[in-house]
Amino acid sequence: MGKKGSDIYSVEIHGIEDLEKTDKGDEEEKYKDLKGNKKKSKKTDDLKKELDLDDHKLSKNELEEKYTTSITKGLTSARAAEILARDGPNALTPPKSTPEIIKFLKQMVGGFSLLLWVGAVLCWIAFGIQAAQGVPSAFDNLYLGVVLALVVILTGIFAYYQEAKSTNIMASFSKMIPQQALIIRDGEKKEVSAEQLVVGDVVEIKGGDRIPADIRLIFAQGCKVDNSSLTGESEAQSRSCDFTHENPLETKNIAFYSTTCLEGTATGIVINTGDRTIIGRIASLASGVGNEKTPIAIEIEHFVHIVAGVAVSIGVLFFIIAVSMKYKVLDSIIFLIGIIVANVPEGLLATVTVSLSLTAKRMAKKNCLVKNLEAVETLGSTSIICSDKTGTLTQNRMTVAHLWFDNQIYSADTSEEQTTQPFDQSSQSWAALSKIVTLCNRAEFKPGQENIPIMKRVVVGDASETALLKFAEVILGDVMGIRKRNRKLAEIPFNSTNKFQLSIHETEDPNDKRFLLVMKGAPERILERCSTIMINGEEQPLDGERAEAFQTAYMELGGLGERVLGFCHLYLPEDEFPDTYPFDTDSMNFPTSNLCFVGLLSLIDPPRSTVPDAVSKCRSAGIKVIMVTGDHPITAKAIAKSVGIISANSETVEDIAKRLNIPVEQVNKEDARAAVINGMELKDMTQEQLDEILINHSEIVFARTSPQQKLIIVEGCQRQDAVVAVTGDGVNDSPALKKADIGIAMGIAGSDAAKNAADMILLDDNFASIVTGVEEGRLIFDNLKKTIAYTLTKNIAELCPFLIYIIASIPLPIGTITILFIDLGTDIIPSVALAYEKAESDIMNRRPRHKKRDRLVNQQLAVYSYLQIGILQSIGAFLAYFTVYAEQGWWPYTLLGLRVNWEDDYNNDIEDSYGQEWTRYQREYLQWSGYTAFFVSITIQQVADLIIRKTRRNSIFQQGLLRNKVIWLGIFSQIAIALILCYGLGSVTALNFTPLRVQYWFVAMPYAILIWVYDEIRKLFIRQYPGSWWDKNMYY
Amino acid sequence: ENKAEESAHHSEDEQEESKKKMGKKTLADVIQEMKTFLWNSETRECMGRTVKSWGLILFFYLIFYMFLAGMFSFCMYGMLLTLRPYTPTYRDRVSPPGVMIRPYLHGFTIAFNVSEPSTWKPYVNSMHHFLQAYNDNIQEEKNIECPAGRYFVQDGKESEEKKACQFKRSQLENCSGIEDPTFGYSTGQPCILLKMNRIIGYRPGSGIPVSVNCAIQKGNESALRSVDFYPGNGTFDLMFYPYYGKLTHINYTSPLVAMHFTDVKKNDIVPIQCRLKGEGIVNDASNDRFLGRITFTLSIGM
Repeated sequence: MGKKGSDIYSVEIHGIEDLEKTDKGDEEEKYKDLKGNKKKSKKTDDLKKELDLDDHKLSKNELEEKYTTSITKGLTSARAAEILARDGPNALTPPKSTPEIIKFLKQMVGGFSLLLWVGAVLCWIAFGIQAAQGVPSAFDNLYLGVVLALVVILTGIFAYYQEAKSTNIMASFSKMIPQQALIIRDGEKKEVSAEQLVVGDVVEIKGGDRIPADIRLIFAQGCKVDNSSLTGESEAQSRSCDFTHENPLETKNIAFYSTTCLEGTATGIVINTGDRTIIGRIASLASGVGNEKTPIAIEIEHFVHIVAGVAVSIGVLFFIIAVSMKYKVLDSIIFLIGIIVANVPEGLLATVTVSLSLTAKRMAKKNCLVKNLEAVETLGSTSIICSDKTGTLTQNRMTVAHLWFDNQIYSADTSEEQTTQPFDQSSQSWAALSKIVTLCNRAEFKPGQENIPIMKRVVVGDASETALLKFAEVILGDVMGIRKRNRKLAEIPFNSTNKFQLSIHETEDPNDKRFLLVMKGAPERILERCSTIMINGEEQPLDGERAEAFQTAYMELGGLGERVLGFCHLYLPEDEFPDTYPFDTDSMNFPTSNLCFVGLLSLIDPPRSTVPDAVSKCRSAGIKVIMVTGDHPITAKAIAKSVGIISANSETVEDIAKRLNIPVEQVNKEDARAAVINGMELKDMTQEQLDEILINHSEIVFARTSPQQKLIIVEGCQRQDAVVAVTGDGVNDSPALKKADIGIAMGIAGSDAAKNAADMILLDDNFASIVTGVEEGRLIFDNLKKTIAYTLTKNIAELCPFLIYIIASIPLPIGTITILFIDLGTDIIPSVALAYEKAESDIMNRRPRHKKRDRLVNQQLAVYSYLQIGILQSIGAFLAYFTVYAEQGWWPYTLLGLRVNWEDDYNNDIEDSYGQEWTRYQREYLQWSGYTAFFVSITIQQVADLIIRKTRRNSIFQQGLLRNKVIWLGIFSQIAIALILCYGLGSVTALNFTPLRVQYWFVAMPYAILIWVYDEIRKLFIRQYPGSWWDKNMYY
Repeated sequence: ENKAEESAHHSEDEQEESKKKMGKKTLADVIQEMKTFLWNSETRECMGRTVKSWGLILFFYLIFYMFLAGMFSFCMYGMLLTLRPYTPTYRDRVSPPGVMIRPYLHGFTIAFNVSEPSTWKPYVNSMHHFLQAYNDNIQEEKNIECPAGRYFVQDGKESEEKKACQFKRSQLENCSGIEDPTFGYSTGQPCILLKMNRIIGYRPGSGIPVSVNCAIQKGNESALRSVDFYPGNGTFDLMFYPYYGKLTHINYTSPLVAMHFTDVKKNDIVPIQCRLKGEGIVNDASNDRFLGRITFTLSIGM
């Protein structure tokens, strides 16, 4: 009903809009937005909608009937083939990608390309008109048009290639080894590729397998599955063939595609394949969540708008000026082309792409694999990281953290690479405890791992038992051998009703004929069954005082967010339980009370050792780290405290209430820096309440959250104008990953759906890698600023000649082709070289940039580059131009107003300042010398520009002139290219270069030095007077 | 039931809100924004800056550009100081000499109808105008007679005024326009003057006078049957060289060679190329079609 209502409403809005709006384009956009909105809300509705699945309610026979299969014989091959043809292979359809040709065409018209196409078309129009008029130089315009088109196409191909390359990295990454499934067909067991599975197939699975499709279990033995990729719950869930819940997601007799079977075996009938599986549905929903534009894409767009705006407005302005100065319209069009070409930094977008991919490569080396090049920078502008707990902040493995025996708490080493345990192991109690830990444990190492460090060995068993096994192995060594020597006679596995696990063993001591009963389980349940307690190896009665001590220890360990297990044992008296005694676990013909309590062990998924450091780095970098986890609040809070997400001296509202002994409601919420929010609370919160929490508390932990709530949290953060990074691994995280400004998927634990939705993949699942990514991202933002400032500067030096040419009618100082040689020749390597520049100061000590305030190209950058250094460069280049002309006989003032005669193809005896007469070609050749001199001067001054752009605040000498070797490579390449163009290709007339007299290379040198000196002065004042007028206007 | 309704309301609100956010600014909004940008009365800012801020920034740029202008002027002044007023620093780009013709009416097609004076009158006027400076009386008054057959080298100070040799219009004989003021255009036998570009210090021909000859450029050789050259056999006498530049060689008049096309095929387009011949003269450069040669078409209608 709700959905219907909103639909009607939106239509109404649209109706009103229709009446109000006359602007057609505007309206269309609105309509689109509206539609997009509708689609989105519908999709999230779908996400929340229950599944219409009733297979879990059917009996085996009904199932057989429904799927025309047989539980014992399976489908026939023929029938399977039929269904396969009908339903398609059992694989998720990869998210729809844009067709390659569209991607390519986008590159062809994106950025400045459109402007250059306009230039090219204008060229061809000019050529058409001139050719019709029979002007001899008409072909110049044709060639220029072709060159412009080539420039667009080549840079387009380059950008396309770069993008394709980074996508390919992903493609190879996501390619997986084909999964096999054991099925019954035609009455025989067969291994087939999981893709071949069809509805009705009977599948057998065992511990360690990935579930190959959605299956309804018909037989299960000790089967446990890990649904974390689907629901986010890290707890293993048991599976049986009983119908336990109406909701197919909750019932125990369905196992879902892409989850893993942890232990046990099961047989089931395939009920859904491919995209029709639950995972498939969620994955397809995630692809519907719109991809937001990356911050750097917005910045580049903003920058393109600025430059294009300048180009078009100057172009149009001078077109009007030219026309009103009685220039022919055709000439004015040609001027317009020149102005466009001069204004557009043709090579810049390619340089940006290269810089980003260089950073992406660097980040990949540091375990951050970037899928989308632009995401490189997004990470740098991140202001909030919503991090998962399990696996990202923690090691994703249970480890023994504390022990309690002999009335004392011992800490265990929880680091990743433990080889010994340092606590006191001399007590007899420990000997008893270690025996229980070793024996009352079903987990086993997979064979053949003797040479692998214990912590890295693969274990069959659940997380706690694995932890205990490894713990025992580290201390005692050869657990399997001990178990062999203490043969197991009977066993009751852990179940949720009695909450303990018990086994009975022979002892390894040949003189001791007693059996040993060992038990572990929930501490309170274990304690109930004990009448004595072991202290220093002695059994003591369990009196009130001792029980109290137990309670204190239990509370303390529980308060640390650790999972506590109790251990007890009993030596069965020899006379009552002789050698041949038949132990029966069903009738429990042995004592399970009055046991001897030995000790407690507490387990935790410990934080990764690098995380606390990384979190504190984030904090000093002004990044808020929010923990979002499905775990219990206490555990979440404990981990948050231990990694520093909640700092040592901050308190939550509850903490303050407890300390002051007042009700929670009376606490002033602003006093509490930290907050631990339960998923249940979050559910009842309004948007405003969530916003309030996000604003007021700097240290936030969300516990017991569902995947949908993660999306809500991300949206809440984005409402605060934050750039949000989200980590995730499960399928259910994919909408949040998509919604985030940068979604980070885990490379090891992450599901394919999460990796697909993410922008970045952490190859080592380590939170600390995000921090190095942030650093790289910030650095590249700074360096892109430098690159752009460097590139924009010379655009003025390219533009001024045209303007003065139009206004003062002097011979053209620099040609369009020559400009292209600067933009796409000499300037390319230097501007990439700036990407290698080291940070000026500790970039991890400043706040993240504000999305809307700290622009890549701000007013100061544009003004400083255009109006100061750019003008300086133009003046230097003009000096060279005038020098070349003057030394050949054309004094500066004779050049003014000379243009019409100068360019007259028929006039072959124009007098210079000395009375000499020049033919058209002689003048043209001189004009090319002028181009070359102008070009060389810009190049020389760009060297100075490159050096000053190394820093924005520090002196070059503080930064180190020689530290960035690539800059020097850039400078040498710049000069080498200029030399080759000037002397090597000087004889190719089409390129308009001439071999230049050596001294002209030095004419602009004073200006190059002036640029450097002036910039040093600028930086000095910025450093000396921070916050001053100068700082505000001159720092970019 | 109730809850569902509530949530529906909620989503409605949400939609409205998001619509507001997504909706584009109306025109009125944009205009208002522009207005505030141009003059924000609240902060007393014009285009994002206060008056004081504008003053400062304009003052800064005034100083900055004044400094740049000063530096530029200084550099230009320094550069100009290095130039010599009488000879340019380099003359490599202007030599070897180019060639031009008169009459010159913006193009190298000389087309006229003998029977229609209005078609050839402009050519004749152009010739008369050009030859004004060569009038015998002017030449005799201003210039001196020089010994023919050798370069007229004038040593001495560079700044000293140089004497120029007489080139009298009458030397052009039939093409002087004295006897036939129409330069032969009225009879379909046009005169065309050929001029070699001036280059300071240039001594054409290295001692042997440069001569001119003309031929059909492409096509039927018989279209051009006879050409008369004046003075002499169509040579530039050595006495007119070298040239010392317009500052000191004030009355210098370029020597001319007149070509009298006495028998050209009529009612046809006749492409003619005239070349200079002499040592050091380049007349076959592929990219400069006016270096040591000139191509024009004669199309004389009766």
